[in-house]
Amino acid sequence: MPEHMLIVDLSSGRMRREEIPPELLRAYLGGRGLGVRLLRERHTLSPFDPAMPVVFAVGPLCGTPAPTSARIEVVSRSPLTGTVYDCSAGGRFAWRLRAAGLLAILVEGNSPRPVVLAVTSAGEELLPAEELWTKGVGETVSALSGRGSVAAIGPAGENGVLFSSVMMGEGNAVGRGGLGAVLGRKNLKAVTVDGDRTVPVADRVRFDRARADVLRLFRASPVIFGELGISEYGTPALVDLMRQRRMAPTENFRRTVFHGSSCYSGPAIRAAYGAKKEGCFGCPIRCKKRASDGRSLPEYETVSHFGALNGISDLHAIVRSNDACNDLGMDTISAAATLSAWGEARGRFPSPEEIGPLLHDIAHRRGEGDLLAEGSRRVAEALGKPGLSMSVKSLELPAYDPRGAYGMALAYVTSNRGGCHLRAYPISHEILRKPVASDRFTFSGKARMIKIAEDTNAAVDSLVACKFAFFGASLEEYAELLAGATGEHHTPQSLKEIGERIWLTERFYNARNGFTRADDDLPARFFTEAGSSGEGIDIPPIDRARFGEELTKYYRIRGLRDDGSFPDDGFLGRQP
Amino acid sequence: MRSLIAKYAGKMERDRSVVPGRAGIAAQDDVMLSEGAPDLSRLAADVLSHLSCLGVVAASPSLPFAEFLLRRANPDVKTIVPLDTETRTFLHDIPIVRREELAGNPARVIAALLSNRKGVIAEGVGIVASGPVTLEQAYIHYSSVFHACYVKYLLDVLQEGFLLPGEGEAFRAFRETFLRPLTAEGLSFRAGPLDDPGEVLSEIRAAGRYTVERGLVDSFFGNISYRVGGTIFISQTAASLDELAGCVDPVPTDNRSTTGITASSELLAHRRIYEATGARAILHGHPKFAVAMSMLCDVKDCPVKDCWKDCTRVRMLGDIPVVAGEIGAGGLAVRVPPVIGGPGKAIVYGHGVFAIGRDGFEEAFRSMVDVENRCREEYFRRLDTRGGHPSTSVSHIHSR
Ligand code: SF4
Ligand SMILES: [Zn+2]
Repeated sequence: MPEHMLIVDLSSGRMRREEIPPELLRAYLGGRGLGVRLLRERHTLSPFDPAMPVVFAVGPLCGTPAPTSARIEVVSRSPLTGTVYDCSAGGRFAWRLRAAGLLAILVEGNSPRPVVLAVTSAGEELLPAEELWTKGVGETVSALSGRGSVAAIGPAGENGVLFSSVMMGEGNAVGRGGLGAVLGRKNLKAVTVDGDRTVPVADRVRFDRARADVLRLFRASPVIFGELGISEYGTPALVDLMRQRRMAPTENFRRTVFHGSSCYSGPAIRAAYGAKKEGCFGCPIRCKKRASDGRSLPEYETVSHFGALNGISDLHAIVRSNDACNDLGMDTISAAATLSAWGEARGRFPSPEEIGPLLHDIAHRRGEGDLLAEGSRRVAEALGKPGLSMSVKSLELPAYDPRGAYGMALAYVTSNRGGCHLRAYPISHEILRKPVASDRFTFSGKARMIKIAEDTNAAVDSLVACKFAFFGASLEEYAELLAGATGEHHTPQSLKEIGERIWLTERFYNARNGFTRADDDLPARFFTEAGSSGEGIDIPPIDRARFGEELTKYYRIRGLRDDGSFPDDGFLGRQP
Repeated sequence: MRSLIAKYAGKMERDRSVVPGRAGIAAQDDVMLSEGAPDLSRLAADVLSHLSCLGVVAASPSLPFAEFLLRRANPDVKTIVPLDTETRTFLHDIPIVRREELAGNPARVIAALLSNRKGVIAEGVGIVASGPVTLEQAYIHYSSVFHACYVKYLLDVLQEGFLLPGEGEAFRAFRETFLRPLTAEGLSFRAGPLDDPGEVLSEIRAAGRYTVERGLVDSFFGNISYRVGGTIFISQTAASLDELAGCVDPVPTDNRSTTGITASSELLAHRRIYEATGARAILHGHPKFAVAMSMLCDVKDCPVKDCWKDCTRVRMLGDIPVVAGEIGAGGLAVRVPPVIGGPGKAIVYGHGVFAIGRDGFEEAFRSMVDVENRCREEYFRRLDTRGGHPSTSVSHIHSR
């Protein structure tokens, strides 16, 4: 079946649908891979250059009943990190985009005035959006109801907050790297998608068998469907676990245990808010939780960073911070971590009462918010204390202290989009014991484990499936689903090879933009200060020499030089 | 890495799943390491060099069952479908590759199959298994394939008799010398009830180790727990029964904390069993004869197709109830608790045994030994009475 993408030039208002060359889809699948490939000619442009594209791409499983596959990837270059950037989000947007007859939308150029891109299976148009400009995400989404699914930016994106998000109408975020600001600069307030096309499944029997296998593995996974798992409690199920493992970042990573964390644990949130199950379209896991009043409840990272990282144990204040970030359209992890770094620099972490107004100041770049809108690295540098930004490549670290999981330590620095836990997701085996357990306090073997996981997840992000599916299933079953859906033969090995191509392409782009081994490093604090040891668990500082040795191994496994650079300039030329 | 290779080589010899000295293990870091029998370790390394994986195990299994299954299969058959449900859930099927297909570049052929499956049976070589995430996984996958072949072969022989030259003799050697008597004698258990968490943890570790040391179960498959007041101490998911130090989660029964998210996938079953029976200790493992015998059914014209998950009957093997049900959040947590209280033990169709101790692990351990011994006896009784005639048994298996 030929696949199409919509190309939108916002400067001229011209739009056209094009067939995507099938060989590109064979080599990159869709989602993240396709988006990264489409940046090839323009990856050195500044993120705010009008010609820099933003790609919205779903994958070959989207629109089929493959579990967890109604996800979209948004790909561009991040104004926060300067790296190539992608983020995956759920909700219904992905599924409706496919129903509009598209695998991807590529947006380029800057519109002369605020617009909404409205796409249906019948066609697409640019609608004037002056009245929506300055509006919060909630109001924007309501105003566009009736147009299918909405992806919108809030004031943070309009005002160029470097960690502003693109918010899905259902509450899911394209977060972390500031793609909201890229859309804001383009004057694109929102994209709506709707359609009625269905996606054919090439081999129904094969597909259904693989689907049943996946669902059985979900049921066999305690992390997914266990009575204490993410289907019951959402990702805040991790709060108690990270406390027990003594790796919950506290007070800007000065400590790793926060005694107030039980106030915002999974059970505490359920007791206070009801926590109704909700999920991305068609997902059986339904890890999202909604309060009885309809608000979407925060994820693990959010409660931990607005909680422990800022020394706050007031659940309602944390939920309000989450609400504010979602409506303003900015990333909760980076917002909370930037406030925390700023708090440590000024000698006092913000109180629950201060946080709300500060978040609004950031989104509108008012007062101190103007500096805070630049993210923790720039804040810490401006205050003359660069060591206080707990970030890698300017991306604030999420709520897994690297001193408590050495694979995670390595994966933070090798991640192509900066300090992110999801690229290799070693928490899966180092902490959650899935698919098997690994020793969290050793570097031994981690270089190759991280490399393989990065490749695997690059493929997963291109299918696009949800990382949480892999707490139960594996690429084995997803390769079968793909074969059943498209009729093309795939194996875990061939998918990992595609993932490797995607990963190396991203690293190559970053290298061309000046990133070197020096950027593949953790904040000094982790090598010099211990975490909070106790209860028989020792959290020493990370051994820098051993860390460096494993990083070198990692480069060798990747086929890079010991300084992390590519052996020659011809890499892209050899790729399809 | 080298110490890990040595560890798993040792485990395979101790659990008697390989011919002594006939295992090769390769692990890849920035360099390739391999150890063991020179031909097999070379093969393991060659296979691994084609795969995006941490490790590969290539070994001759201590029993020729995998090889027999391969040779008993029709020449056009490319995979063996294990019938026991736990390995089935994870393995799906096991590719087989025949001697002539291995003629050119065996490593490449095996790697191509492993690119899509966790383990393969290679004629004249043995079982080759990969570990995509850790080296331990290669050992676990080897162990799964070994287990699946063992159980399937027991059933196939019962259904179809011996078909190949040499099979009868090999099976006799298995029966007379490989199988050792199972017993709880000589083991020391603490008398319950136990209240001190330290004592509980050490007793869990000991009981877990005994099940493996006594050859009752394979180390990686199974779980164990003990209840003290409002807390269930339970082995973690993906933990090995003989290595439980640091791998037991205390789970409050009122779910006020979610630290138990890493607990065994059978946490719910354990909890329900405690609620239904008032027991203190639970042991669960996959002893092979019990797994095999649970899949034989005498019911004629039964409409159920997927017995392992859909059978709602409580069948009896002597006084031992047999029920069906998927693992984890599937059905076994519903079907086991109501039947286990009286007899103190139950078998889950094609999966394994649950045994309880009212005070401590001794009762549970003895029950599990007893179940497996009785299943062994019953198996051989049926085999002897079928007397080499083709398929006289009315029992059947229709879990496909
Ligand atoms: S597991 Fe959660 S995040 Fe993933 S697809 Fe399902 S509902 Fe969405
Ligand atoms: Zn089991």
